[in-house]
Amino acid sequence: MSPVGRIVVDGHPIPFESGDSVAMAVMRAGEHPHHGGTICLAGDCGNCVAQVNGVAYVRTCQTPARPGLVIQRHPALEAPPLPNLPQADLTDSRPAPSIGVRREDADVVVIGAGDSGIAAAAAAQRRGRQVTVLDARDGMEVVAIYAGLTVVVRTPDGMLHVHAHDVVVATGAAELHPVCPGNSLVGLVTVRAAQQLHAAGMDLGIAVAIGSVPSGVPCKSVPGRLIRIEGDGRVSGVVTADEDGSGRERTTPCDTVILGLGRAARDVLARMAMDLPVTVVGPAAEAFPLPASPTAGTVCPCSRVTVDDLESVWDRGFRELELIKRASLTGLGTCQGGACLPHVRAFIAHRADRIPDPFTARPASRQITLAEAAAGVHVDAFRRTPLHDEHIALGARMDRFGAWWRPWHYGDHVSEYWAVREAVSLGDVSTLGKLVVSGPDVVEFLERLYPTYVADIRIGRSRYALLLNERGHLIDDGMICREAEARFVLTFTSAGAENAEMWMRDWIDTWSLRVHVMDRTGSLAAINVTGPLAGQLLERVGLAAQPRFLQHVQAEVAGVPCHVMRLSFTGEMSFELHHSVDRSVELWRALMAHGQDLGIAPHGLQALHGLRLEKGNVIVGMDSELDSTPRRLGMEWAVKMEKADFVGRSALARTAGLPDDRRLVGLTMPGSAPTEGHPIWSGGEVVGHVASSFTSPLLGHAVMLGWLKRAPFPDRVEVDGRTASVVRPPFYDPEGIRARA
Amino acid sequence: MPALESISGVRVSASPEALDAAPWPAPAVVLRFAPDDLFVIGATGIDVADEHAIVAEETGFVGAWLTPDELAERVIPHIEWPLPDARPALGQGFIAGVPCKLWLSDDRALLLCPAPYAHELAERLR
Repeated sequence: MSPVGRIVVDGHPIPFESGDSVAMAVMRAGEHPHHGGTICLAGDCGNCVAQVNGVAYVRTCQTPARPGLVIQRHPALEAPPLPNLPQADLTDSRPAPSIGVRREDADVVVIGAGDSGIAAAAAAQRRGRQVTVLDARDGMEVVAIYAGLTVVVRTPDGMLHVHAHDVVVATGAAELHPVCPGNSLVGLVTVRAAQQLHAAGMDLGIAVAIGSVPSGVPCKSVPGRLIRIEGDGRVSGVVTADEDGSGRERTTPCDTVILGLGRAARDVLARMAMDLPVTVVGPAAEAFPLPASPTAGTVCPCSRVTVDDLESVWDRGFRELELIKRASLTGLGTCQGGACLPHVRAFIAHRADRIPDPFTARPASRQITLAEAAAGVHVDAFRRTPLHDEHIALGARMDRFGAWWRPWHYGDHVSEYWAVREAVSLGDVSTLGKLVVSGPDVVEFLERLYPTYVADIRIGRSRYALLLNERGHLIDDGMICREAEARFVLTFTSAGAENAEMWMRDWIDTWSLRVHVMDRTGSLAAINVTGPLAGQLLERVGLAAQPRFLQHVQAEVAGVPCHVMRLSFTGEMSFELHHSVDRSVELWRALMAHGQDLGIAPHGLQALHGLRLEKGNVIVGMDSELDSTPRRLGMEWAVKMEKADFVGRSALARTAGLPDDRRLVGLTMPGSAPTEGHPIWSGGEVVGHVASSFTSPLLGHAVMLGWLKRAPFPDRVEVDGRTASVVRPPFYDPEGIRARA
Repeated sequence: MPALESISGVRVSASPEALDAAPWPAPAVVLRFAPDDLFVIGATGIDVADEHAIVAEETGFVGAWLTPDELAERVIPHIEWPLPDARPALGQGFIAGVPCKLWLSDDRALLLCPAPYAHELAERLR
């Protein structure tokens, strides 16, 4: 044979021949693909891993050589260095090169095209099943089996996900690696590897065989038990002990030691799919005898765990295989126990007088890159409101909040704040959850669901409500708007709408109530018109008969049919205009145009967070925690414990008598606001943290909501090295006069 | 891949029995999202025998009508769930990571997604 191309290894071009793997080409050049250890050429160990075209930990025995491949061998004793990347620009959202995914269906997937695999495939085909055979030697490396069943395969062209009715694991058996002093030298090969190398025309020099002898490979069979391998970097001889009872050692000089020490089931995929309906056939299903318990040498070449290391963890009391694995790191490396597992089991069996089961196998069974693991996986999709382009045109800086793209500000959040407080402003609140509920049992349903009264809400009126779980913890909040005797519109937070819908449907089913639910969140947009001049603006665009505070009406605004809700999150007069998404741009533009001389400006979330904070209005998930009860939030006024029942009532009743050990409080202090999350100190100890903070342009100092988590609650605390007063919110217009104007 | 365009109609949430019995205007495409929830494309009004039915004009979806080739080339590679065998049929699930609905007939398909996801879906199927 003659060279058909060259690959570059550690900066030096070396030739390869037809059919060579990278490992074989490297060995043909007289080198070791790593820096020593037994070579199996079967993908069972980590002794040939190297960096290939920039990807570390590639099994070079499974990588066909091709012109131009650049190989960098890993350091002998260390992990390969991380790539030296230039400073990452986190704002650069250009997509990285992606790995493609193909998806296929199959009646039967057979993993392994050896004798047992071919037999299983033929049997399935005779039964009329459509069979897909996957074998790593054909470049189809199965790296995972998931419930489903889904078989994940790395192929030369990207990833392949095969959805199968049945999976047959026919992965055969791996050859045992030696564990003895000197087993990290260069010049050790398994029987199968020796046969492959010989067939490829490689000269093994003076070769000796320990154990079974490879047929057709020139070598000398050395009887006896393997004691150690001698050499300085490379093998120079092998020491065996006679098994006639004398224990006499003899040294046999050689260049190559061929090791036929037995086999072990190649069952990592079978163990990965232990709880799945997967069939294991052939040698992969066999219980091979364990090797003798190792006494010296490296057991786990990937993690460089020695027999001494195993004895150390054993002496420290780790006696179970899974614990020994974690304590010693054996089996955690590249080959996932392919080389070491039989020896570790033998080590335990020798000491514990029992044979432990193999340890759990989890995806991926072979090293895959992050790009391969992420292939076909999409990042979360974020929604856009119909006004997205309007915001961009107005100079908004968009950001992601609660699964939506929303304007954070339009350049100057303080100006936006003043527009709300002194003039009129528009806010895009299309992201709010909007559900319609209707049915003969709807009142009963809502009474059971909410901790507030519902039956007494009159048609055309609305009420603020908390949504609690069975533990009495706040999960969402919003408005209950009554449209008819048996029909309501419910609003929820932007992030909470989907959960709220599922929550409601679950309870409707649980209680067997006759209630229909329709989620209108994506169908209806909403614009909040807020500020002392909001009423004036709406009058200009046709809304003469305006609802009073907490009323709602159906009306046309600038010719667009709207559900107009009068409420207030900002603390100013506010009207939410809910309308069809296809009319939203038209309505927004009309409002902006008619409000020019009123000082209209849109406001983003940054200003809104400050405006509502001045009013002490809580944002669920920002100010509340997973176990926040109304009492801890200071919102007991929103809970009617005199109701017979509602979700969370029994928990609230039970915990009402417990000490109040946590409380959301208002905080004020001079100067600018500290960042959210700042610790709150009292008496030299951290007693809580800041949940929300804002430097109030109107009040001229910092206002905050913060959690105090140590009773008794102090009146004064320290935040950011300054003294802050604990006060009762709201900080602005405590009588609510402006909102009701 | 055709552009995603607004698909309007009427959305109804009512008792399953009422929806089963309702006369739909032919040749309307009726998408039964759930036993008590459906979307009638192109309709402007519906008569359902359920006094508590929620009937609403629906403009919150975008979609594209696809030929079998467009479906096979542009959409199916992004689907991880098994397509229904029957025709016509409605499949629902993530397509390219976006919640979608796929109505399949013998000679065409309708890809549908909530309007707020239109941009994401178009970009991912590009």
